[in-house]
Amino acid sequence: MSTSMLVWIILSPLLGSIVLGGLYFYHIKKQEVNERTFALIGCVTPLISFIITLCLFLKMSDEKIIFKQHLFTWLNIDKLNIDMALLGDNLAIFMSMFVTFVGWLIHIYAIGYMTGDKGFGKFFAYFNLFLASMLILVLADNPIILFIGWEGVGVCSYLLIKFYYGNKENVIAANKAFIANRVGDFGFLLGVVTLFFALGEVDLSFGTIETNVSNASSGLLALAGFLLFVGAMGKSAQVPLYVWLPDAMAGPTPISALIHAATMVTAGVYMVARFHFLYSGTEEIGLFIAYIGAFSALLAAVIATRQTDIKKILAYSTMSQLGYMFIAVGLGFYSAGLFHVFTHAFFKAMLFMGAGGIIIALHHEQNIFKIAQHRAQLPIIKFTFLIGVIAISGIPFFSGFFSKDAILAAAFQEGEYLIWAIAMGTAFLTAFYMFRMYFIVFVAPTKHKVQYVYTSMTITIPLILLAIGAVFAGYLNLAPIFGGEAQVDQWLAQLNSKTIHMSHAVEWILIILSVAVAAAGIFVAYKKYAKFDVEKPEEEVGLIGNKFYVDEIYHAVFVETSKKLSVWIDKVLDDKIIDAFIMNSSRGFVNLGKKVSMMQNANVRFYAIFMLVGMTCVFIYLISTLGL
Amino acid sequence: MVDFIFIGLSIMAIAGAIAMIIYKNPMYSALGVLISMLSVAGMFALLNATFLFLVQIIVYAGAIMTLILFILMFLNINDEDLPAEPKKFKLIALGAAVMIPLNVLILSAVSKLPEKDLSITETDFGDIKPIGIELFDNWLVAFELISILLLIALLGSVVLAKKRKSKIKKQGE
Amino acid sequence: MISLTSYAFVSMMLFSIGVIGVIARRNIFVIYMSIEMMLNGVNLFLVTFARYHFNMDPQIVSIMVIAIAAAEAAVFLSVIILLYRSRKSLDTDIFTILSQGEKS
Repeated sequence: MSTSMLVWIILSPLLGSIVLGGLYFYHIKKQEVNERTFALIGCVTPLISFIITLCLFLKMSDEKIIFKQHLFTWLNIDKLNIDMALLGDNLAIFMSMFVTFVGWLIHIYAIGYMTGDKGFGKFFAYFNLFLASMLILVLADNPIILFIGWEGVGVCSYLLIKFYYGNKENVIAANKAFIANRVGDFGFLLGVVTLFFALGEVDLSFGTIETNVSNASSGLLALAGFLLFVGAMGKSAQVPLYVWLPDAMAGPTPISALIHAATMVTAGVYMVARFHFLYSGTEEIGLFIAYIGAFSALLAAVIATRQTDIKKILAYSTMSQLGYMFIAVGLGFYSAGLFHVFTHAFFKAMLFMGAGGIIIALHHEQNIFKIAQHRAQLPIIKFTFLIGVIAISGIPFFSGFFSKDAILAAAFQEGEYLIWAIAMGTAFLTAFYMFRMYFIVFVAPTKHKVQYVYTSMTITIPLILLAIGAVFAGYLNLAPIFGGEAQVDQWLAQLNSKTIHMSHAVEWILIILSVAVAAAGIFVAYKKYAKFDVEKPEEEVGLIGNKFYVDEIYHAVFVETSKKLSVWIDKVLDDKIIDAFIMNSSRGFVNLGKKVSMMQNANVRFYAIFMLVGMTCVFIYLISTLGL
Repeated sequence: MVDFIFIGLSIMAIAGAIAMIIYKNPMYSALGVLISMLSVAGMFALLNATFLFLVQIIVYAGAIMTLILFILMFLNINDEDLPAEPKKFKLIALGAAVMIPLNVLILSAVSKLPEKDLSITETDFGDIKPIGIELFDNWLVAFELISILLLIALLGSVVLAKKRKSKIKKQGE
Repeated sequence: MISLTSYAFVSMMLFSIGVIGVIARRNIFVIYMSIEMMLNGVNLFLVTFARYHFNMDPQIVSIMVIAIAAAEAAVFLSVIILLYRSRKSLDTDIFTILSQGEKS
């Protein structure tokens, strides 16, 4: 295994997407291609990426090296030098490991989910393209290549959200996602430019930025850090650019699982960790990031308590957990944040896949109350769903507990008690609304006769694999307090993250508090919803039910003003001012010509008058010069 | 004495000219011109140009003005056929404004010439015989050309005014 | 006292009135007579200077001018008759076929 294998991690899904796209064209233009061909190509390429990543990982842990691969020089203009280069260091390989593994499992799940759809091949082409873009993002050596991947995942997210494009609302949701992302991307690009100016004449790979960052003025660095985070706000659905994430649930469930749970939305967290040298130097920006994360977590949790669409509840919970990750990386605990990304990928993807299984078993019904009314018996899905819900609530021995607890302890240790209190409140609400969803969908009594529905193996086997991960992934970073060695923290030592070093007594108290809060949430949910009458569903009313009217406010402020502005520019500025100016000046010339042509009116006396007037002027001139 | 004659003649000349431009009826204008020309002939006489005095009366007043009056009466114009001239006085004012600089220029130039006495003298300057000798001595070519010109004018007027029935109809009414 | 200036004044008045007549009147006869008036004024001026310098040449020129005026009279009046025949009007403002603007 040498360095040159690094590019094949990206090329494998990329070539797969191109081949699948060509096959799909052949399929619709000439002759039908069997679904199995698409499925085979679509699922083999992520597996290849995963295997290469695994081999590189083993080699790296053996010999303690990192891989760098320079492909070609893309731009070399004066002081700007951008190479197409890939960097396979610990962080990149860590991210790429779970991205390829979870991605491969979701590809297999998608075979079962999308059978019978006439865009089957197109789906896998887009899906592979998405995976390739995400891997470009993760393995990039400089921010520009990262941005290529960043934009690529945005585009693929758009293409896949509007997969069922027959329904106009899906397209609108896809547009919303893309545009909100674009606003963030603008901030990101400005951040890269600021960085370029702050550092002077260096080529922009991460290594050189890291060595030169102390030369730059701290004001410019803070500005760059803030602007880069605006990009992360858009990509990772934090306040204020989060409005696209709930609407993005219009796409098929496999993409909600992969893109909006495990991979694309974590790109923001990855980016902040990648720029750790920048954010470690600018503490105020980091604190700002942490506060945004805390606020987003709380807001999402509050809204989720009143949602009735199963996928939207999971979307808001994703936003909430992303808030936790940003609290961690904002305060400088990069490896704790990335560890939460890792565990979250497992249980969130599993929850989404389970929800998808329920949805297709009940013929695309997404309202939890209607699902409860027509409940079917789906044992494996129920079991894995329960594991996922327990994990996300932070119950001990499951993975979510370890990662979430590390973040809570981090907030407390830094003295940010407000953030810690918000995070604790959000933990209570998280347990509450997740168990509300579980109880209503699976437990609350229904008059309907429950029947067993078969779910195919392509759905259940990935679910079980992910369940194992959800339970045991936490033990990979077992904190010293529990007697572990924190392998993930050691693996990511390059990030110089802060570590927890409080007294053990304080730590145990914090752990017991967070477990108590989670248990309280479960208890309240049990009391209210375990025996809920599902024939009288809750409606999405009130301030919380209407998501605090944020969508309406954005529409009124941004969309309406843009529309009015463009109407004004069209009707007034373009028609009346610019067109009128041009038309009037041309008409003025024509009118002037008409008036001048009236001088040639063949009236002899008129000509005579003019001649005489001319002569008079000459005579006047003569009089004045001769001085008579 | 001669001064009074001069003043009288000049008043009549200018009055006749003004009458020409004021009256709407062309007959009155023609009569005004006639008076003016006779006065100018008188002034020629005052300036010792006796031959020109004769020629002016015979040709100008006697032939040309008669011809004009003849044609006027021949065309049999009614009062309503005459063109309406609404802006006559404004244009007269404009014309006066236009001509003032020229007058100022020439009169101021002329007034700078040395003074001479312009009363009538006892010479044969301007008599018929000296003019005849002068014409045939120095101005022979011009004399002959003038005669050719008069011939051409004679022919031209006959050709132009002839009634050509077909051509008139073609030019369209 | 009659001086050169007074004769010059009279002749310039005649000339100016002739010019005003050409500008101000629309009747074609009056325009013609104004032209004759201008020639008259010039003749007077010429003869004045002939007397002033005791030179014959201006008088000869005056004779020629009168001769030419006679010839011009013949042709001019023929043209007036032609114009009257074609349009039955003595207004000079209606003969505007050569105009570029509004045609009459």
